[in-house]
Amino acid sequence: MNLPTAILSHIGGTLLLLVRTLKYLPTLPRQFPRFMEHCYLIGYTSLPIVTILSFFIGSVLALQSGYSMENFGAKQFIGTLVGLTMARELGPVMVAILITGRVGSAVTAELASMKVYQEIDALVTMNIPPERMLVLPRLAAVLVMMPVLAIIANLCGWYGGALVCQYTHFISVDSEAYFSALKLYMKPRDIVDGLIKAEFFGFVIMLVCCYIGLNTRGGPREIGASVTKAVVTSLILILVLDYFVTKALLFT
Amino acid sequence: MNNMSQNIRVGLFFLLGLALAWITFESLNGGRLFKRAGYTLVAGFANLKGLKTGDEVRMAGVKVGAIELTRLAGHRVEALLAIEPGVKIPADAIASVEQSSLLGSNYLGVTFGTPGIELLKDGDEISTKATVDMSEVISQLGTLGSKLEQVIGEIGKSMGTGGEGGGIFQRIDKLVTDNGPKLTETISNLQDLSAKIKAGEGTLGKLVNDPKLHDDLLASVTEIKAAATDARVFMSDTKGIVADVKAGKGTLGLLLYDEPTASSLKVSLNNLREVSAKLNSGQGTLGKLISDDSLYLGVQSTMKKADRALEGLEDSGPITAVGVVAGRLF
Amino acid sequence: MNSAFTASPFVGKTFGVTVSRLHKSFGRATVLTDINLDVKPGEIFCIMGPSGSGKSVLLKHIAGLETATSGEVRIGEFDAADPETRNKIHLALVFQAGALFSSLSVYDNLALYPREHRQGNEAGIRERVMHALSILSLEKAVHKFPSDLSGGMKKRVAIARALVMEPQLLLYDEPTSELDPVMSATLTEIIATLREQTAVTSIVVTHDRDLAFNIADRLAFVMDGRIRGLGLPADFKSPADPVIANFLNPVIDLKNPRFKQLENHHE
Repeated sequence: MNLPTAILSHIGGTLLLLVRTLKYLPTLPRQFPRFMEHCYLIGYTSLPIVTILSFFIGSVLALQSGYSMENFGAKQFIGTLVGLTMARELGPVMVAILITGRVGSAVTAELASMKVYQEIDALVTMNIPPERMLVLPRLAAVLVMMPVLAIIANLCGWYGGALVCQYTHFISVDSEAYFSALKLYMKPRDIVDGLIKAEFFGFVIMLVCCYIGLNTRGGPREIGASVTKAVVTSLILILVLDYFVTKALLFT
Repeated sequence: MNNMSQNIRVGLFFLLGLALAWITFESLNGGRLFKRAGYTLVAGFANLKGLKTGDEVRMAGVKVGAIELTRLAGHRVEALLAIEPGVKIPADAIASVEQSSLLGSNYLGVTFGTPGIELLKDGDEISTKATVDMSEVISQLGTLGSKLEQVIGEIGKSMGTGGEGGGIFQRIDKLVTDNGPKLTETISNLQDLSAKIKAGEGTLGKLVNDPKLHDDLLASVTEIKAAATDARVFMSDTKGIVADVKAGKGTLGLLLYDEPTASSLKVSLNNLREVSAKLNSGQGTLGKLISDDSLYLGVQSTMKKADRALEGLEDSGPITAVGVVAGRLF
Repeated sequence: MNSAFTASPFVGKTFGVTVSRLHKSFGRATVLTDINLDVKPGEIFCIMGPSGSGKSVLLKHIAGLETATSGEVRIGEFDAADPETRNKIHLALVFQAGALFSSLSVYDNLALYPREHRQGNEAGIRERVMHALSILSLEKAVHKFPSDLSGGMKKRVAIARALVMEPQLLLYDEPTSELDPVMSATLTEIIATLREQTAVTSIVVTHDRDLAFNIADRLAFVMDGRIRGLGLPADFKSPADPVIANFLNPVIDLKNPRFKQLENHHE
């Protein structure tokens, strides 16, 4: 199979996986414990790293933009820049990348090893569709958890930026001014756009990681290969889709 | 991991997310979450010039509130101002839409008003003042030449009708004697005016003393000259008529000696006096141009700003730089 | 061990399996060619053959895990390849390595099927699970995780998991591979007794001669993706086909000239 047909078949396969998964949507309420378990793994356990990383992303964003903007006296707009960038772009993308690394890879590894050790086949013969038991609760959990993580990332990033602005000697924009500049151009719509993006990324990551995990063939070596493939694919998809989603959101 | 405590943690985590989302949205909506009850004023404008909900209300540059709502109300637009509690705004304070930077953000400026007089209360309407914006200034500058030409032409015409001639001069003499003080006032006004022009005060003065604009004016003056030539031709024609009149020929003679004609002349002289008085006191557009140099200064500084902005843009100024910064960051 | 089987709850209709003109190829590699089999209801049918002969792939076709390139497999009147079939027939496959869910304890592995299919309340499920575990003497392993179990234990848990499903068709993939002779004998007994108790059709894929000859009602030999021989165990006591004969009773020639060369090479 050459590359274009392979890509097409993967796109098709992923979409079919989605369709098959959505078919089992009514079973979600009775899978509530499983859903909660994935919520815990995706959301709660990712909280520390999301907090720390977004705080420093916000800080470094303020530092860099402070350094550049100082040259033409636009320091008062650092708050605007950091605020909008975190909310619209870096918050969702960074959370998506973290989730790819922390959760997506684990999901692919788990599903791939289940496939390699015939656990998936066992599920199929037991008439328990893997889409229902393995994919659906994860997809639902990621959809619930992504906005929460994104909003935490936003706020941590903003406060990181505020701290840097206040205590860096060549910027020294006090946090009052920082936040009023942040609020000046920030509309609720900007936050909502960011959350939509986070939601979308989380969904895509989880779907792709599940698909690649479930389609692993061969021996234990393939588990590692699948994880690599899933992470690389997810990262590419995040950044490529980011452009199109951003564009779509800006013009609606 | 106990199943129950896991559920509790997820629940707490989710509630934390909801709470943070709520705080974010609330604080973006003009910080309503932490706002104490202030009061609301209404400001009516002909044009809000892009003032929008959430923009600041500043009194002498200090933030005292925010625009809560903008709406159309009949033939004007109204902005509701949410004023912070404890801010005292006198009844004669005036609100105007101001531009805080060339980049285009607006705020609503409120003047101090007279201290000690009655204060505005919740729901009151604050008086407003229209401010000129750049595009208007530029379009007014464009029509300036033609307006000047028109006015000067009219002056020339009214002078022409007051031409020479024995009988008429007698009448004029009479008029002049009758209206002596008024004419003196007019002339002194005109003198005052030309002195100001000479001293370079007022826009017209600036125009005269500014070599660049002078050239532009020269063209107008040439046209005025042409108008004067016309007037001269007209006057020589009149001379003939006047001679006839002197000889008592025709009904025109009679008409000229008539009282109504004299009074209409008087009226036109009055008008002339009024025009020059207005010019001097700074009423009307031309008057403003002549006696108020702030407009000129304003235009000049605007031009300078625009120049600076353009220069800035050329050597990758602020806007491009923001782009570059943003580009690097992503 | 036999005493444990009394009062077995596993009753129900069982199904025969018909494989007709089955071909399977992965890309250019042909794995199965023209397979025709007819397994009668209630029978223990053994599929024997050397490693890599395609017998496991054949079993996967019966379980509906692979789709045929051509030909078809029917379980009773249902098409094995149709996912809907699994809603109509309880089919259990005991995988070679057990395929236990490594994230679940032994108990949860067994309880998964009735829970997912909402068969009764937790107490009823517990009874069923404990019964299946007791049949295979696994009571002590109930709270262990698959990673803590030996290979033989894993296979027994896998069989117990199959029993909990109350299958109408039981498929075994190499049930005795990698087991010591005692454990192999135990598993042989278990398979035979299960069929006795439940009358369930059992298809056993194996290359274990002893297992096959002890339990099979009928035997099929698969070699290089083709059926090489089919018949009663008695028919293969002294097979006419030299390939099957060699497979069943390989000649061990310690002076094989091929290995002589090896020796020379060492010198």
